Amino acid sequence: MIRNYLKVALKVLGRRKFFTFISLFGISVTLLVLMVATAMLDQVFAPEAPEVHGDRTLGIYQIGLRSEQIGYTGFAGYGLLDRVLRNLTTEVPAVERTSILTVQSTAISYLDGKRVESWFKRTDGEFWRILDFQFLEGQPFSQDDEKNGNHVAVINASTRDRFFGGKPAVGKTIAIDGQTFRVVGVVKDVPVLRVVAFSDVWVPISTFKSSTYHQDYIGNFMAILLARSSSDFPAIQSEVATRMKAAEAGIPNKEMYKWITGGADTLLGAFSRIFFSTNSLADSHPERLLGVLLLIMLLFMILPTVNLVNINLSRILDRSSEIGVRKAFGASSWALVGQFVVENVFLTLIGAGIGLVLAGAVLSALNASGAIPYSDLHLNARVFLYGLAIALFFGLFSGVYPAWRMSKLHPVQALRGRQV
Amino acid sequence: MIRHLFKLVWNRKRTSALLILEIFFSFLVVFVVATLGMYCWDNYKRPLGFSIKNVWQLRIETKKSDDQHTPDESVTYARLLKEVQSFDAVESVAGAMGAPYEFGEYRSGMMINHHDVTMEFNEVTPELKDVLGLRLVSGRWFQDGDEKLSWLPVVIDRDLARDAFRGLEPIGQRLSDPVPDGIKPKPEMRVIGVVDDFRRAGELSGPGNYRFDLKRLGNPDDRPGRVILVKVRPGTPASFEEALMARAQGVAPEWSFEVKPLTQLRESAFRLRLTPLIVGGIVAFFLLLMVGLGLIGVLWQNLLQRTREIGLRRATGASRAEVHRQVLMEQILLTTLGVFLGTVLVAQIPILDLIGFVSGRVFAGGLLVAMVSIYLLSILCALYPSAMAARVQPADALRYE
Repeated sequence: MIRNYLKVALKVLGRRKFFTFISLFGISVTLLVLMVATAMLDQVFAPEAPEVHGDRTLGIYQIGLRSEQIGYTGFAGYGLLDRVLRNLTTEVPAVERTSILTVQSTAISYLDGKRVESWFKRTDGEFWRILDFQFLEGQPFSQDDEKNGNHVAVINASTRDRFFGGKPAVGKTIAIDGQTFRVVGVVKDVPVLRVVAFSDVWVPISTFKSSTYHQDYIGNFMAILLARSSSDFPAIQSEVATRMKAAEAGIPNKEMYKWITGGADTLLGAFSRIFFSTNSLADSHPERLLGVLLLIMLLFMILPTVNLVNINLSRILDRSSEIGVRKAFGASSWALVGQFVVENVFLTLIGAGIGLVLAGAVLSALNASGAIPYSDLHLNARVFLYGLAIALFFGLFSGVYPAWRMSKLHPVQALRGRQV
Repeated sequence: MIRHLFKLVWNRKRTSALLILEIFFSFLVVFVVATLGMYCWDNYKRPLGFSIKNVWQLRIETKKSDDQHTPDESVTYARLLKEVQSFDAVESVAGAMGAPYEFGEYRSGMMINHHDVTMEFNEVTPELKDVLGLRLVSGRWFQDGDEKLSWLPVVIDRDLARDAFRGLEPIGQRLSDPVPDGIKPKPEMRVIGVVDDFRRAGELSGPGNYRFDLKRLGNPDDRPGRVILVKVRPGTPASFEEALMARAQGVAPEWSFEVKPLTQLRESAFRLRLTPLIVGGIVAFFLLLMVGLGLIGVLWQNLLQRTREIGLRRATGASRAEVHRQVLMEQILLTTLGVFLGTVLVAQIPILDLIGFVSGRVFAGGLLVAMVSIYLLSILCALYPSAMAARVQPADALRYE
């Protein structure tokens, strides 16, 4: 049955080439835009190297300090995170590892009088065990390096090119941000869209120029927590919330802030928290952000859909004699609706295929342009599946109304070829 | 004629409704992109209020929030300013919390004359006027001795003077910043001068209120600044940067520094604001291309279905030009209906004051661009199909039945 439908569909597509072209053009451009957007979101959220355990990682990305009158929302200080995470892995077995890291900032070096800007991140040793970086040479620094304040650094391949002309760098020193570090490892470049892992140079937290950060509640730190399984998330989140509450007693500038907001979130949850300014300790409502993304997608799809519906409707005439014959021989309206929807989905899938090829080209052009540092945007199985789902939805969305109108044709009029 | 056209459209109301819907959504897409573009262009033409020629930014990263400073940090900051001034290549140096074109901003809101006024503010040293070439409109700028006053002198920009004092003489007016309980209240602020509109965030940012507070360098209560703005002599080589960094690092080894010419910050500010517009523009272009092709197809097919009707008109003496005109007029009518619906919808923005930043001029400009482009698109797409329709021979019509 379906095979017959598809045969008919192919014949029809070949008959009116101009119409086929404009339909396919609209479909492929629409899906191209959606697939490029999906690939970008995928690079941020999907658990891929180095954030391989992204699906069982929680993070304390942003916190808030509040009183009745004023509030601070932003990155936490080391003191607060240290207090919340201390002994968490031993007291809560569901937490496998925890790590504290700074947000990356730019740091300046001078090479023969020429200024070089690098992204710079400070982390502890556990960072390298939660995230899975691909090491080109050497190895990460350890928790001992962090404890002893060793001036060691891990750099990425692009930094190695800039500083050492691409030659092996382990054991050499690198001067950055007014300090000197010994390179212990070189990793593959990490795309900027990987917000937790991304940097050019990683060094231990304890190499900070002053040690006042130990007590601060406000700063430029965040933390990640590796759970044994994502099913442990609720328990971990409520434990973190309890500890946050307890940490309120230690707020350094007590006369200014009274309580703490924010908690351990998934990455999607963290974005949702920022987007909606959610202040609760436990719940960040990631589903709201998903809702907004879906809504944006639907809004974007309205115009292409109306366009495709219009095109589909005007092609009815082409088909009126066929419809008349089928109706005269007793085909039900439902069978006809089914047939036309299948045809439309078939057409959308062809368009999606073209869109996918175009998206691949656009993505590699984006990567090559360097507009997004170290971007490694690509089509993978996940993006392809999302694209397929979007295409199917688009096909149904734009096919149902024209199919229903077609099936309503009166057989006699249809055979006469009258207008609908 | 018009009534006849309405009848024709009404006769094929379901097809017409869908076409109107398509035009309506296209109109909305163009309107959004055009309004954003207009907004940027409108801002670009406004006076900026400062000049960044030969100005470099030395940014200080203390890795701490503003309210955690210690008195000796303020002292270090003052020393840093002096050290930078001692370079031969330096013309003038000013301290501030934020620099032009930076991403972050300091905002405050207060009650002035019984209405809420929000403003961006900055704490600056008196030299800022020379470094950024500010133009005083009335009153005076900060001067030596101001740091010893029992009140805090502030200079505001024209926007703030207009918004806060509504025609009253701004010089000498008092402002008070709301302070949370338990925090030492700052001294009262008094306006001592007004400068030209100052748009710190740069050419593409909208107009806004701005206030300069005096940064009192000797005062231990005052936090250290976050940036130092350095005006260098023309022709200073880029290698000056490294020397500046080394000197700064020597004065304050615990802090991190970053030096950039402001032109570089300007570039990234432009990129940040234009990228979404350019991406939106490209997507909108392809959407319109798609709509255009779709319209040609649909019109062509619809006219093919009306061969008999058109043939009959030709047989009863209508000229080709008349048929041509009829088809075009029908299309213009459909477009008008779609554009009308769209205009009714977007008119709610100024009526309900939904988006504050869209001024009347920007809104009208966006509307005009959207209308013109949709009519153009629609007519262009109708030209070929209507020419085809006009070629219908009366005989065709008879044969068709």
